[in-house]
Amino acid sequence: MSVVKNPGSASKWYLPGITIGLVSTFSTMIKNLFGRNKMITLNYPEEKYEYGPRFKGNHILTVKKDGSLRCTACMLCATNCPAQCIKIHAAEHNDPTVEKYPISYEIDILRCVFCGYCEEACPVDAIRMGPEWQTPALSGSNFTYDIRYLAYRPNLKGGIQSRLDDEERHKVGI
Amino acid sequence: MPKCKINGKEVDVPQGTTIIEAFKASGQEIAHYCWHPGLSVAGVCRLCMVQIEGQPKLQIACNTEVKEGMVINNNSETVKDTVRWGLDFHLINHPLDCPICDQAGECGLQEQYMQFGKYDPEMAEHKVKKCKVVDLGPTVVLDSERCILCSRCVRFTDEVSKTHELGIFERGDRSEIGTFDGKPLNNKYSLNTVDICPVGALTSKDFRFRQRVWYLKEHNTICTGCSTGCNVKVYYNEEGCWRVKPRYNPDINGYWMCDEGRDIYKFINKKNRLQEITMTEKGVSKVFQAEELLPQLGLELKNAVQKNPESVALILTGQYSCEEYQSLLNLMVKSWGLKNVFHWVNHPESMEQFDGLLLRGDKNPNTKGLLNELDLLSLTQTWKDLEEKLHRNLIKHLIVAGPENLATFSDVKEKLKLFSSANKLIWLSAGIFEGVSSVCSQVVQIPTKTFFEKEGSYINHKGMKQRVTPGVEIVKSALSLCEFVEGLHHDNKGAHFQDMDSALVDTKLKEPLKENFFTATRGSL
Repeated sequence: MSVVKNPGSASKWYLPGITIGLVSTFSTMIKNLFGRNKMITLNYPEEKYEYGPRFKGNHILTVKKDGSLRCTACMLCATNCPAQCIKIHAAEHNDPTVEKYPISYEIDILRCVFCGYCEEACPVDAIRMGPEWQTPALSGSNFTYDIRYLAYRPNLKGGIQSRLDDEERHKVGI
Repeated sequence: MPKCKINGKEVDVPQGTTIIEAFKASGQEIAHYCWHPGLSVAGVCRLCMVQIEGQPKLQIACNTEVKEGMVINNNSETVKDTVRWGLDFHLINHPLDCPICDQAGECGLQEQYMQFGKYDPEMAEHKVKKCKVVDLGPTVVLDSERCILCSRCVRFTDEVSKTHELGIFERGDRSEIGTFDGKPLNNKYSLNTVDICPVGALTSKDFRFRQRVWYLKEHNTICTGCSTGCNVKVYYNEEGCWRVKPRYNPDINGYWMCDEGRDIYKFINKKNRLQEITMTEKGVSKVFQAEELLPQLGLELKNAVQKNPESVALILTGQYSCEEYQSLLNLMVKSWGLKNVFHWVNHPESMEQFDGLLLRGDKNPNTKGLLNELDLLSLTQTWKDLEEKLHRNLIKHLIVAGPENLATFSDVKEKLKLFSSANKLIWLSAGIFEGVSSVCSQVVQIPTKTFFEKEGSYINHKGMKQRVTPGVEIVKSALSLCEFVEGLHHDNKGAHFQDMDSALVDTKLKEPLKENFFTATRGSL
């Protein structure tokens, strides 16, 4: 809906408005010149803003103590995902205590809406939303994240360990 | 005929009916695990408790017969509390595996817990740990922890398959389902134990971990693996078909089906299917659209038949529906005047075999339907006549309505060798068979629709006619034989005849082709 405003008689006097605007511009310029650390703008991309720890950025797949994936391929995240961007292929693990694990776990990040429902659906703390969000790429194919990226990308430094541990759970008798 | 009152509703049941059957007959709900309508009564789960007026204690509904004038209820607070506690006792040692359990989504324990569960467990003890992945045999895997010892699978191997492989070993909370040493669960009906398992203890190796059940849709159809024609459900999603399960039909298969029939979903899937109509001439293959190739092919065949009826032969297998045979024979025999029609029998030596339960030696769904159609037109030529004619090089054009399920045809290779004396082979088949394109100097391969994609009726060994309805489209350019016939005598070039009603398909029963829920919303099959 467009709103049409009839210009009043005050708007004919444009010179006071311009003066007020220029005063604001110059006063900010002088403030920034003499107090650079109080400046509210950032020199992106050299300087970056740190978001809070609950920020929902790119996904992280957590790992167990031995470094293998925590994910049990239950597909609850894929079921819960409103954008249907998670694709998991499950397989049988050689270790009978692990049973089921994902041989491929892909997130189409261009479809993802960063709602965090996958994180909430996960019963074993295997997927989390991380702090990163500035992840440009040169080609469209780089936006499908696989296990290698989600769990072991360089800035995770070998993987984030999950809080839940199977062995501990078994000891408690769950 | 005793009359009784169930939850205030008058029910009239035959003599000898148990209370749980009366509940089912009156359409009322009752919790139960171990009771299965196709098996004997075990009475071990103690969940189907009911209150009968005049009796001081609660009774189990599965093992109590209805008597005249009984007043039964299962909605009093006493019954509800008993069921709640019974369920809690079942869950004492049941692991919290639901996220990785294949049964999740169709699990009796989950459903009944939602309905009758006691939401705050009072058990403080540790769960008893048992073996997680026990290999019971070539088809089934057992998870002992999940088992609630309902004994359905044990009763199945004792009473239905009569192979007695399974048993319950140990005592108390250490009891486990197991097999005897050196005797794995290996019978032709073993996967039924997976179907009747109310929890995820028994899982099928074929389906294990491949899909979550809530991603699948089911389509009711019949099994085309043999001439028994068991009623089945095929589960599918956008990636293809995943499994087959039996559907109750008291006249044909009861509650069961064989393990062989469970493999029929494999040949329906796209990767095992012929994709395009191709014509191969001197080693060079060319893809055609049905609209451009078939009218021209029809004209060619018609001229060949009218010139010399002996030079064209039609070979039929028992894999197609009655309507398809009718339309093909109507065109070629009735209007063109073809005489050479032959029946390709894939297992001549085992045709009459029967294992006493469901499996038959005749691995075609519609042999009876084909023989009926051939009898109607008094076409009595045998395979020997064809062999002789081919050896004498009398036949130039050969039309073969070949196998849909190639796994049941072990003799395709030798039959193709026989066909190689013809000049032109028109090969209709759903599956891919290596080397068809180089059999004759000119080979036309036409992909056909499987039972999952078309409408039609099949006549089983008993003479019962059963209809199948189309599930989803899997191969776009596949034709049913009715559509193939439409194409052959179609002179209106360019029009799309795939959707046309064949005059023979009963239009009243014809359902519109369902849109695949999955492909409609995302991706393609």
